Amino acid sequence: MSDSLKRIRIIAGKEIVEFVRDWRSLLATILIPLIIFPALFIVLPLILQSEAAELESLELEVVVQGDVHDDLVSALENDRITIIIEDLPSDIENLSDPGIDENRLRNSEIDAILRMRNSGNNTWNYSIIQFSTSEHSSQARSRVLTHLWEWEDEVVNRSLLEKGLDPDTTLDPVKWDGDITSADTATSGEQAGMVLSLFIPMVLAIWTASSAMQPSIDMTAGERERGTLEALLCLPCSRIELLSGKWLAVAVIAGVSVSLQVVGLIFAITYLASSSSFIAIPAMSITSILLIATAVILFAIMVVAFELALAMRAQSVKEAGTLLAPSIILIIFPALFTQVINLDGIESWWFAIPLVNVLLALRELLLDRIIIEHVAIWALSSMFYSFIAAWFASRQFKREDLVASLS
Amino acid sequence: MAKTLIRLQGVKKSFAEIEALSHVDLKINSGQIVGLVGGNGAGKTTLLRLIAGTYSPTAGEVTFGKEPLASMRHKLGVVPEATGLYHRLTAWENIRYHSRIHGVEDEVAWNRTVQLAKMLGMEDSLSRHTKGFSKGMRQKTSLIRALAHGPEALLLDEPTAGLDVTSARAVRDLVMKLRDEGGTVIYSTHQLAEARQVCDRIVIIHNGTIRADSSPSELLEITGCDSLEEAYVQLTSDKARARTEDDSKEGRLAKWWRRLLTSNTPEVSEDE
Repeated sequence: MSDSLKRIRIIAGKEIVEFVRDWRSLLATILIPLIIFPALFIVLPLILQSEAAELESLELEVVVQGDVHDDLVSALENDRITIIIEDLPSDIENLSDPGIDENRLRNSEIDAILRMRNSGNNTWNYSIIQFSTSEHSSQARSRVLTHLWEWEDEVVNRSLLEKGLDPDTTLDPVKWDGDITSADTATSGEQAGMVLSLFIPMVLAIWTASSAMQPSIDMTAGERERGTLEALLCLPCSRIELLSGKWLAVAVIAGVSVSLQVVGLIFAITYLASSSSFIAIPAMSITSILLIATAVILFAIMVVAFELALAMRAQSVKEAGTLLAPSIILIIFPALFTQVINLDGIESWWFAIPLVNVLLALRELLLDRIIIEHVAIWALSSMFYSFIAAWFASRQFKREDLVASLS
Repeated sequence: MAKTLIRLQGVKKSFAEIEALSHVDLKINSGQIVGLVGGNGAGKTTLLRLIAGTYSPTAGEVTFGKEPLASMRHKLGVVPEATGLYHRLTAWENIRYHSRIHGVEDEVAWNRTVQLAKMLGMEDSLSRHTKGFSKGMRQKTSLIRALAHGPEALLLDEPTAGLDVTSARAVRDLVMKLRDEGGTVIYSTHQLAEARQVCDRIVIIHNGTIRADSSPSELLEITGCDSLEEAYVQLTSDKARARTEDDSKEGRLAKWWRRLLTSNTPEVSEDE
């Protein structure tokens, strides 16, 4: 190993040791990325299911006013709803006017009010008065609506039968034949790739940038602020070696963080694929996977160099944070924009735009589309941008005013 | 006759429009302790940083032996004003980090570290994290770190500032012992008494120029004064410049914005 590479390795090694000795940094870099997707895809749906079950089991109280059919009242009572039958208020302009009942709902005395008025000829007008910010009231409305629509279907069917018509052929004359899912030629793996391509690129880009931010600041502005940088600059290593060592350390930390996030994602998808038909494991070739890794590495080279350069311009950790925090916005906007770009027939020049090129590349590769022209453009342009970022960073590291004061 | 180890020829250093050092010629001989004495903003640290290679001269050249300084930085040990220790590393890890960059084997650095730590009375603290270290302990660690690779010349920027009497004495004793063993030390300080006690030669810097460069006794002889303090005052009688380097680093927009949001402070007139 040459002396220069040895010094770069020493600098990177020390930075990593210092970083992992801070348990808070480790928590943010290792634990959070590892659990974020399992928490999002497995735990959150379980919590939502449990909450939904709890709502469904609630005993509710609904006031029924006006001409409500006994069959509908029975159906509601069988669905854990206590019915209070009343006359329609006399002072309301129409059925949707809460009138004096407003306070009863707002004070949670009752959960909803179903109002119905028979307008003759087997037709009804109705309204459901609710307090939408109350979960009880929303649940009551939902249950009332469900039973109301079922009862409406019965009324319609009865009317059609009375007129000698078959409800099935009258209401649904055009029907799908066979299994609707078998008509899609995209495999479940390809469909999974399509779903994931809508958010994985953005998550990877944002996480790469944000996980590199804190170590970048700590190793540059942090060193300036703590006064350790001057001693380091007096050592027989070049500024480029110093930058390379710090870059390597930040890249390793960000790389580990992003890799752990991907591991967490794969675990979550595998779990979901094995326990439900909601999503399958995306179908991707080895080439696509390798190209995804290449795209992320090139992106990381650029982002880490850029963040190190910006942080090195700052006089303090606070100033570095002020400089770097908005850079995440610079990633989020193109990332959101890239999600809506149609990949079919996309012009090649899109793959030369900084940041957009990597995000589009990730989308295409998650769909297992390898278009040589696109790969060449994003790979070459990413290398060029990485070079520019590295050059900018090297300029910042060569500045003499990295050490302050005159005495 | 002692050989010239470090030489500055026609060295000038400017930051934007501000000239921090003007035409400095200086020879540092081996086996000497050379004191750089001056007030705040005089240019001592700038001079030390030029010798340490942190700054490049705007004009002139700095040589080590007969070689350009840039290629000889491994022969220097530097203790900057801010000790610059990593608090999540132990004292030994801090020392080893610098020694490794100097290309010194861990075993060699360790043996030298233990020897120096014993001299400074901190051999029991080498395995401790530096986070809880006192100022004196930090300074001693920084000093060992600068010496562990066996440099030919040691640059010290106010090494006893803020230290208690015992720690300051330990640092001074070590520096004089190094000189006695043939080492070269450049010692920046505010304290004339300390310079007289420690240094073989005193270089007085004021407003970026060298006002005197001789032994303490010669200095008294040249100025005709009875004390070094009087000699210093005589040599630096012109008004000291304001410390402005930090200001020159600020961007124009940042400077304009800061001034825009600062209420006017009245200037002090000559009569006041």
